[in-house]
Amino acid sequence: MNVVVCLKQVVDPELPAKDFAMDPGTQRQVREGRPLVISTYDENALEVALQLKDASGAGVKVLTLGAQAAVGDAIRLALAMGADEAVVVDDALAPERAGAEKARMLAAAIRRMGSVDLILTGCESADWVERVVAPLLAEDLGVACVTFVSRIESRDGAPVVRRMVEDGHHLVEVRLPAVLSITSDESNRPRLPKVKDIMAAKRKPVQTWAPADLVLTATSDPASGVEVRQVVVPERTSRCEFLTGEPPELVEALVQRLRDQKLL
Amino acid sequence: MSVLPSDEHRMIQSTVREFATRELLPIAADLDQNCRFPREALTRAADLGLMGMTVPEEYGGAGMDMMAYVLAQEELARACAGFQAIVGVNNSLVCEPILRWGSEEQKRRYLPDLAAGRRLGCYCLTEPTSGSDAMSLRTSAVHRDGQWHLSGTKIFVTSGAEADLCLVYARSEREPGARGISAFLVEKSFPGISVGKAEKKLGIRCTSTTEIVLDDCRVPEENLLGERGQGGRIALATLDGGRISVAAQAVGIARACLEEAAAYAQQRQQFGRPIGEFQAVRWTLADAATRLEAARLLTHRAADLRQRGLPCAREAAMAKVFASETAMWTAHKAVQIFGGYGYTQDYPLERYFRDAKITEIYEGTSEIQRLVIARNLLARS
Repeated sequence: MNVVVCLKQVVDPELPAKDFAMDPGTQRQVREGRPLVISTYDENALEVALQLKDASGAGVKVLTLGAQAAVGDAIRLALAMGADEAVVVDDALAPERAGAEKARMLAAAIRRMGSVDLILTGCESADWVERVVAPLLAEDLGVACVTFVSRIESRDGAPVVRRMVEDGHHLVEVRLPAVLSITSDESNRPRLPKVKDIMAAKRKPVQTWAPADLVLTATSDPASGVEVRQVVVPERTSRCEFLTGEPPELVEALVQRLRDQKLL
Repeated sequence: MSVLPSDEHRMIQSTVREFATRELLPIAADLDQNCRFPREALTRAADLGLMGMTVPEEYGGAGMDMMAYVLAQEELARACAGFQAIVGVNNSLVCEPILRWGSEEQKRRYLPDLAAGRRLGCYCLTEPTSGSDAMSLRTSAVHRDGQWHLSGTKIFVTSGAEADLCLVYARSEREPGARGISAFLVEKSFPGISVGKAEKKLGIRCTSTTEIVLDDCRVPEENLLGERGQGGRIALATLDGGRISVAAQAVGIARACLEEAAAYAQQRQQFGRPIGEFQAVRWTLADAATRLEAARLLTHRAADLRQRGLPCAREAAMAKVFASETAMWTAHKAVQIFGGYGYTQDYPLERYFRDAKITEIYEGTSEIQRLVIARNLLARS
């Protein structure tokens, strides 16, 4: 089985708030001088793929869009964790592209790879949280898509995936090839690379493709009608309200307040 | 010499930092308070390749260089200095000398197990009457009936209770001093070796520190490490590496103190403002950061020399004395910045303070490091 994991590099979500900044020109987060890491759920997706490799010897390839110099750390880490090879689409504009546009580029890159059975992405990126890449990627490739998958199991040799829903999970039988967006779960906590695999990662193959190498599917609007007008950092305010009365009424009033705030 | 770590070094550093943050930080206070040996965490450290970092891959190690090693030790010590002590002893005081002086057979027999965490090593040099004057040791080794008979008591043995393999120094020749000493690889299963008294300690309390009692302990001939009478040299050269390891440990403790103190100084309000706005606190933090950086650079410099196979006794001693005194100084200042809270077990500062002290003592006290540096200096001039 050939598995491709799409990795996005984002500004470390654990960055102290004081180092967070938006570029008013591009309406994008300032990346320069900030540590870049693999987007949180993408690491879970990689872990799911590596478990398939451990269990059944699946081949695991990672795919990323971005300026080659900027994605080096993500690729190195993925290879050290156990991915077999990597493809970088050397695209300096990647951080500024909308999700739909990225999905088209990823789809084109995956077509170029040839035979692929399973494509895994994080269920959302840690910066934009659009959740559009996996479904649009599947649409572009004309394959099945299951979102918010936590595990891949097998029943009578056919893959069955566990899709997390609000009150539990669904088991979904999937026809391959398919795109799965992966959410986190205790079973897919990303592994740490072994020290010797960090050195071995240097010897694994990394291919670099130019965006011009990709054959995109035709569409009338490359940005799919998405335009970012303004991004604002929400202002945090706090308000304190005292309720008065006897305990039974107090409880009722408190519950009502919590319901009004949609906290209950 | 480059002072910037390579991409691989940075990744090893971030991997070990992640491991230490996930696996050690949450348990460090409990390990300390209950003197609990961190067996599960050691197993996971071994899985990552941290128990035989500089052992080549052909002997089951991770095949790393000294720079990777010291970066990893700093990260471990920042979370739990006791845990680092166990890992550091296994790597620098047991794997290293086997790698340097061991026969091919000894390397194949012991290194894969030590690197994989299947065996743990300990270092038996100090005796009740020979501490700083280590070369005056009195444990005897007598060659009889085709095997060695060891008798004597070793003290202050880190991991003495749990270790499976003991590197024991004993006097095998009539000559006094270093030239009369030989080194032996003694398995705990050999007849005549036992664990004696366990010390109750000020710091690094998750490690065991015990006596190792040798009562006519029978050691096969093939377990002599190096040649007869070479033990003193092995002990001293091994300690150069051990001192770099302790320097990295001290850097880790100093960094933990500084990180905690800097965070607290920004958050603790007195007189209507964060205490980090007062010059007394700012200057203390600035001095701590400067000393930390200097200690780290000395440690990296010594590690680099050792990696290149160049003499490093002087640099290792400098790194060790400066880093350990930096750890103690920074712990002292950090407790002061925390005030009363720093004195309680609700914060980790008092643990750092207690842990820091050992770095000025073991593997050669600060006084011995200065002796090594001065001897080196005056011999050259």
